[in-house]
Amino acid sequence: MAAKILSVDDSKTIRMLVAKAFRAFDCTVLEAGNGEEGLAVAERERPDLIILDVTMPVMDGVTMLTKLKEHPELKRIPVIMLTAESGRDNVMHIARLGARDYLVKPFKEDQLIGKASRIVNLPARRGPAAAAGT
Amino acid sequence: MSMFIQNLDVTAFLRQQASDVFQTMVAPEVGPASNPDGLHGQERITGIVGLGGEQVTGAVYLHLPLSFAEQVTRQLLDLEGAEPLDEAAVNDVTGELTNMLAGGFKSALCDRGLVCAVSTPTIIRGTAYEIEMIPDVQRTSVPLSAGTHPLLVEAHLKLG
Repeated sequence: MAAKILSVDDSKTIRMLVAKAFRAFDCTVLEAGNGEEGLAVAERERPDLIILDVTMPVMDGVTMLTKLKEHPELKRIPVIMLTAESGRDNVMHIARLGARDYLVKPFKEDQLIGKASRIVNLPARRGPAAAAGT
Repeated sequence: MSMFIQNLDVTAFLRQQASDVFQTMVAPEVGPASNPDGLHGQERITGIVGLGGEQVTGAVYLHLPLSFAEQVTRQLLDLEGAEPLDEAAVNDVTGELTNMLAGGFKSALCDRGLVCAVSTPTIIRGTAYEIEMIPDVQRTSVPLSAGTHPLLVEAHLKLG
């Protein structure tokens, strides 16, 4: 079954870049605009991987990750944190909260795919959609 | 003259960070500009991300000509030249680029013990606006260019 990947970011640009990065692979990319929406989608869709921004309005990524890890049925979903902050303290804080990995913005598509493919199976998409890049 | 914060050359850092952000995301070469007033009189867009902490407060600004911001947005989102461009998309891209700049700067400050948080980005558009400083704020302006496009990165910081 194709992997479900949930992209949680308040920036539509980043969500589009994440979706574009996974276009060539047989997977479904779901989107949410903040942590609160992200938790709701995670509960409903049970994604195989969450790509989670840190700084967001309504509920930030750190709060969403904390709540996710407290949730008995969602706590095992692996999370890659997307952060614009590469500082030591920030990275250690993210690791302590239980994120599987992190990616510092700005990032290239292949960096994201490299990290995601270590966590979920990403076979190449077949058929016209792959050829059209959609 | 550049501002130094515990061996951090703010001008050099912002120049490198801007270059990294643009080259990674949209690939144009970004370098120092010979004309510091290159944006004067142009229709432009400014992304602003605030920095707040006990020992440092301020903001990072990214000023772009609107035409360049639109070009970057089309490139990032894979939009053809004929496709209409949503104003919100240009705002979002400009905000996100500013966020990347400010996030790197925030990390550099935090690594030097100046712990602070960043705000979500806000946007200003127009042709004839200036950003004034309140007292005790130090301003670092870094004029840059991406091809023929002038850019300006600024940090306004209040320490202590």
